[in-house]
Amino acid sequence: MADADTVKSLNGLLNGIAQKIYYNKSEITEDLLKNELYPDLSPEEFHALHEKMKSLVKSIASADMDQAQLEAFLTAQTRKQGGSGGVSAEQAAALSRFWKSHRARIRESLVGQSRWEPGLRGLSWRVDVQTASSRGEPSGNAVALVELELGRQGEDSDFVCLEFDEVKVNQVLKKMAEIQESIDSIVNKS
Amino acid sequence: MPGLESTSGVDSTVENIGRLPPDVFAETTFQRAGIDLEWKALQSIIRLLSSNFRTAAKNNLTADQLVARLGEGSRHWAKAVLQVVHQLWSEHGSLIHTYQEAHAMASIGQMVDMQWKLGMAVSSDTCRSLNSPYVSLLLKVADTSGEVSYKSFEMTIPQFQNFHSQFKDISAALETV
Repeated sequence: MADADTVKSLNGLLNGIAQKIYYNKSEITEDLLKNELYPDLSPEEFHALHEKMKSLVKSIASADMDQAQLEAFLTAQTRKQGGSGGVSAEQAAALSRFWKSHRARIRESLVGQSRWEPGLRGLSWRVDVQTASSRGEPSGNAVALVELELGRQGEDSDFVCLEFDEVKVNQVLKKMAEIQESIDSIVNKS
Repeated sequence: MPGLESTSGVDSTVENIGRLPPDVFAETTFQRAGIDLEWKALQSIIRLLSSNFRTAAKNNLTADQLVARLGEGSRHWAKAVLQVVHQLWSEHGSLIHTYQEAHAMASIGQMVDMQWKLGMAVSSDTCRSLNSPYVSLLLKVADTSGEVSYKSFEMTIPQFQNFHSQFKDISAALETV
């Protein structure tokens, strides 16, 4: 197999592994990857390669390795003895390139996977001026209507619509300033 | 009307929509298709479309009006794409509008209290080195009948900062009225 082909297949395999385990592309199966990328390998040989690469990717992602850690890790892997244990220089290079380009996105996926509370999917708002009301409230009051779109991964959104007057908004802003202060104090410590 | 103004973010999202073949675009509008576009671009596409459809439904726009508005929002919409949007809206628009109206009237609440927490997700079973700070909010909401419910949600730090900035905009808007 020519070198360029090997590199291409490796890149494709790593990409496919990421698509399946981090980007939720369930249609990507081991068979699909084998047929597309390594048609000449036996099923057992491909399975071994696939499992090895998958395990390496998971280790790298789980530790969120930086450049130094990755190099140390890959060097150790290439020195491992035994047919199924070691990693070739080519594979190490492919893993290094792969991690550089996918790290941010995989991290985002992992953070998302570990969040079980609903996330904020969207926020829209408008300001209305009340002109009349059945309860006889004075007209001319400005009111903000805020719609929060909340949702857990894979679930439909929950829309929460809330009304705020100026006093309320200022109360909220005060709390947010407290949160920001808290964030800043942590950032300054680290 | 917020959401339909043109920004460079909208333009590039619109251009990305133009890259999708028209029949795929039609599929994508109601369910995600497996297209190899950069992830954030795809998320932006879905949000832009959902946001436009919801705004159009709220204002009971006709298909012609929706397409005209989209064109005002960005010059980059491909003709074929607008045709698909027009067709979809003609078929489904009024149904969405009716649903939204029923939904909105029942559910405008007052926020009675807001509690917050700044947390750090350290590690999880899928990732030993998560190190991800987050802001968690717990809202106590009273609906029009006085019934109280709790809504909680989490945000990443950048999301929180965006949230904060939007409330500043709301405050400014209330002051100018």
